[in-house]
Amino acid sequence: MAAHLSYGRVNLNVLREAVRRELREFLDKCAGSKAIVWDEYLTGPFGLIAQYSLLKEHEVEKMFTLKGNRLPAADVKNIIFFVRPRLELMDIIAENVLSEDRRGPVRDFHILFVPRRSLLCEQRLKDLGVLGSFIHREEYSLDLIPFDGDLLSMESEGAFKECYLEGDQTSLYHAAKGLMTLQALYGTIPQIFGKGECARQVANMMIRMKREFTGSQNSIFPVFDNLLLLDRNVDLLTPLATQLTYEGLIDEIYGIQNSYAKLPPEKFAPKKQGDGEAKKLQLNSAEELYAEIRDKNFNAVGSVLSKKAKVISAAFEERHNAKTVGEIKQFVSQLPHMQAARGSLANHTSIAELIKDVTTSEDFFDKLTVEQEFMSGIDTDKVNNYIEDCIAQKHPLIKVLRLVCLQSVCNSGLKQKVLDYYKREILQTYGYEHILTLYNLEKAGLLKPQTGGRNNYPTIRKTLRLWMDDVNEQNPTDISYVYSGYAPLSVRLAQLLSRPGWRSIEEVLRILPGPHFEERQPLPTGLQKKRQPGENRVTLIFFLGGVTFAEIAALRFLSQLEDGGTEYVIATTKLMNGSSWIEALMEKPF
Amino acid sequence: MTWLWLKESQKADEYLREIQELGQLTQAVQQCIEAAGHEHQPDMQKSLLRVGLEGRAGQGWELSLLLSGSSQAASFGKCFLDRFPPDSFVCMCQDLRVLNAVRDYHIGIPLTYSQYKQLTIQVLLDRLVLRRLYPLAIQICEYLRLPEVQGVSRILAHWACYKVQQKDVSDEDVARAINQKLGDTPGVSYSDIAARAYGCGRTELAIKLLEYEPRSGEQVPLLLKMKRSKLALSKAIESGDTDLVFTVLLHLKNELNRGDFFMTLRNQPMALSLYRQFCKHQELETLKDLYNQDDNHQELGSFHIRASYATEERIEGRVAALQTAADAFYKAKNEFAAKATEDQMRLLRLQRRLEDELGGQFLDLSLHDTVTTLILGGHNKRAEQLARDFRIPDKRLWWLKLTALADLEDWEELEKFSKSKKSPIGYLPFVEICMKQHNKYEAKKYASRVGPEQKVKALLLVGDVAQAADVAIEHRNEAELSLVLSHCTGATDGATADKIQRARAQAQKK
Repeated sequence: MAAHLSYGRVNLNVLREAVRRELREFLDKCAGSKAIVWDEYLTGPFGLIAQYSLLKEHEVEKMFTLKGNRLPAADVKNIIFFVRPRLELMDIIAENVLSEDRRGPVRDFHILFVPRRSLLCEQRLKDLGVLGSFIHREEYSLDLIPFDGDLLSMESEGAFKECYLEGDQTSLYHAAKGLMTLQALYGTIPQIFGKGECARQVANMMIRMKREFTGSQNSIFPVFDNLLLLDRNVDLLTPLATQLTYEGLIDEIYGIQNSYAKLPPEKFAPKKQGDGEAKKLQLNSAEELYAEIRDKNFNAVGSVLSKKAKVISAAFEERHNAKTVGEIKQFVSQLPHMQAARGSLANHTSIAELIKDVTTSEDFFDKLTVEQEFMSGIDTDKVNNYIEDCIAQKHPLIKVLRLVCLQSVCNSGLKQKVLDYYKREILQTYGYEHILTLYNLEKAGLLKPQTGGRNNYPTIRKTLRLWMDDVNEQNPTDISYVYSGYAPLSVRLAQLLSRPGWRSIEEVLRILPGPHFEERQPLPTGLQKKRQPGENRVTLIFFLGGVTFAEIAALRFLSQLEDGGTEYVIATTKLMNGSSWIEALMEKPF
Repeated sequence: MTWLWLKESQKADEYLREIQELGQLTQAVQQCIEAAGHEHQPDMQKSLLRVGLEGRAGQGWELSLLLSGSSQAASFGKCFLDRFPPDSFVCMCQDLRVLNAVRDYHIGIPLTYSQYKQLTIQVLLDRLVLRRLYPLAIQICEYLRLPEVQGVSRILAHWACYKVQQKDVSDEDVARAINQKLGDTPGVSYSDIAARAYGCGRTELAIKLLEYEPRSGEQVPLLLKMKRSKLALSKAIESGDTDLVFTVLLHLKNELNRGDFFMTLRNQPMALSLYRQFCKHQELETLKDLYNQDDNHQELGSFHIRASYATEERIEGRVAALQTAADAFYKAKNEFAAKATEDQMRLLRLQRRLEDELGGQFLDLSLHDTVTTLILGGHNKRAEQLARDFRIPDKRLWWLKLTALADLEDWEELEKFSKSKKSPIGYLPFVEICMKQHNKYEAKKYASRVGPEQKVKALLLVGDVAQAADVAIEHRNEAELSLVLSHCTGATDGATADKIQRARAQAQKK
């Protein structure tokens, strides 16, 4: 059991258990000792589902990373390839199988496709003459992986690029499949809302898949009331801005991968002498303190930490008051919990210090100022001095691109002259090869010339109240606290959908790309919910193309509002931030 | 005893009590029920079974209803033994009804109870299906409440498979008849039926039947087998399953000639983009042809740019690829990209020349880095020339030179440069960069030249808190005053701090 998955309104452990069961069943099909050969990309996500101990229980004795040539020696009966269905991986597998030593002991080969079996890949294996070598060829439908009590991700890195640039909807198909699995476990979701081209397609696929399952009537009482499908390209702005929540900043500065962050070790108490390795910490709501501070604006984290420090040291002081044997015993029984709390506090104090070093730097301040000017609509139509200086000083290209794209999005595209100037500066400074990257950004709508000479952003900003001048970072009253002023557009759309409904913002919805729609999935009368007065609805919100931690924080804020009326469970193709997003769109020809 | 009881003899009661006293009543009842099973005459079966019930008036009808099949087994429960479980009784009634039905002379399967039990219901159903006794088989399934997938659906599917073999009925009628009977019955696979139809040579019927198949994964492979690839393609696209689309595409590619294949793609944008992705990784040349066919010059341009890095190694080859790219960009009316590509060609040639003449590594450096490298190597003239040729904006050139000279720690040259004309980036960057190289002495030179707006910042950078305070006071700028104050540390700056506080107090008075 993973306790942190069952805190929320929807117990995501049910999903985790279901996928674990499926994994065990597969492993048991291949009787005897096993070695797993991993498509390296899968190891991170798998870690959230099953630790090595589970694999070991099912006789997995060795693990290798998939690479060319001959497989490493292993005295096992079964070799199982865990791979994504990709042609280039099939070629490597074939190479492995073909170079198997014929004189050695005979080993059985199996292949487990994640998340889906692929005819294309099997054809490739057949062409390479190895298809017959595999006894079991199965699929493991690991589409949505539970990250936290209210968070699911497909961790599909390329999803945005594939969907919006390359017209490849594979990840949408997986998303629809994942939603079908969720519905099989948590009941049919009676209402589906959506905005965007991809959202429309996922909804269509779901409806179609439901028809394929006719007859097997789902008799589970629905846990989710609504599903909201949102295209990332409906809100290109939000991920570009620097996230200012605690978790968001950790991700911006150090990166969070599969819920782990690697941090520089200096500020942490060394475990042993000469321990110069990066400190790897798992970050999720299983840690009480982290659950409390992760979604706060970073400026509000310090006071919580110092309060916590006082509470903990007071708790340790209690030992002086413990006089009787009974009191001492009670104190001792609390010790493990207190020590864990103290360790957690020490870690987060260190992280907060690391982040503070960055956020108090002059450059961070300058960058934030420019971002905030753009988002509030100031000087978005001319070449920005700060960006120019960043280029001239050759700041990291991703930083520059994020800023230029932000300006472009906040101006509904740049004037041709301004755009060309930036592009020229970037090409001359960072290299002409980036012309491919610039073109990708243009195709994605992130960096483009203004068409029709109209800037729609002010209308959107005003109608959706995207910029709030009076932000309370300590005790927020609005979602805009996550960016210290800017309210994420995507989350605003979700908020307005729940109350008063999208009808009130028809005009803006028409400006934003893609259709908006509503579908109903009728339920048999026995399963229709009678809501208790005051009971919140549960909305599953699916970000197609990625979501940032700041957006998640904003949604959690809405869930916690007393009169909010809606609690959110968040699903996405990828947890990301502006930098990882832009990076995925970059093309490096050499 | 049975007979006595049935004749409502008084003796029956006596015997009954005797058996009861012996504690064998349960066994007796069980035996009666089993005996009924081995009896072929329905009347006799009834009689024996009736013993299993309480002999009260009005119970007999219940039994006959059970045997005729319409009664609810649940209503049974009035066993005259208090806790005799009704299951065996109910099962026997059901089994007998099934057996009686198949023993009917119209059907003519005279099975004994033991044979039936040995055979199992599944096999019996199969036999009925083989004899095309579909309605009876379905009735039995319904009566026994078998799960649809094992029962009714399976038989309907068999029926449908038989139906498709009726050559005298038109495709249209068969398809409609099948759909009417089957509807959306769960567990029925239209593709299996279609496969049967195809097996009998009725391709058109098979296609019609496949229309009713909701699972594209089943639909598509059969369509491919029947050589209806284009239909398969649109079905695959409808499903959203990209793997299925790929499968059809590769099939089509082998089946059609190249021209037809491309034309088919052209009408299916989703398939086209998927195929492009495939080509990008597997068949680069085909990708080029695809773009050519669509006159997609922008993508062609990008294609050749990529090629200039990936496939060409010699400078001439690279430049040629870039030239092709630039031409494509012109055709795409993307003047900017065309010009940029030409600039890149120019730069490549130049870098090659620099490598020949000066040695060192220049190829594939950005323009900015090329100029920097030249300055670092002391080739200032060449650097100037390059900057002019490529029209590097003044501001960026100043940053560039500043950074390069500071890296070289060529302070003399830096100073000369700073005086060459008025700096377009101001002098604060000079102060900053000197401090970065820990040269306070040089930094101070520039601090004095920093404009009034950034003066305080510059002075603080070089550590001249006192003068910074003076300037801030002179500016009467609150933000600057606070900034200076925050830099006042320890006793040394005590006097300065006081001075600022006094100035503040004075400002407030006014």
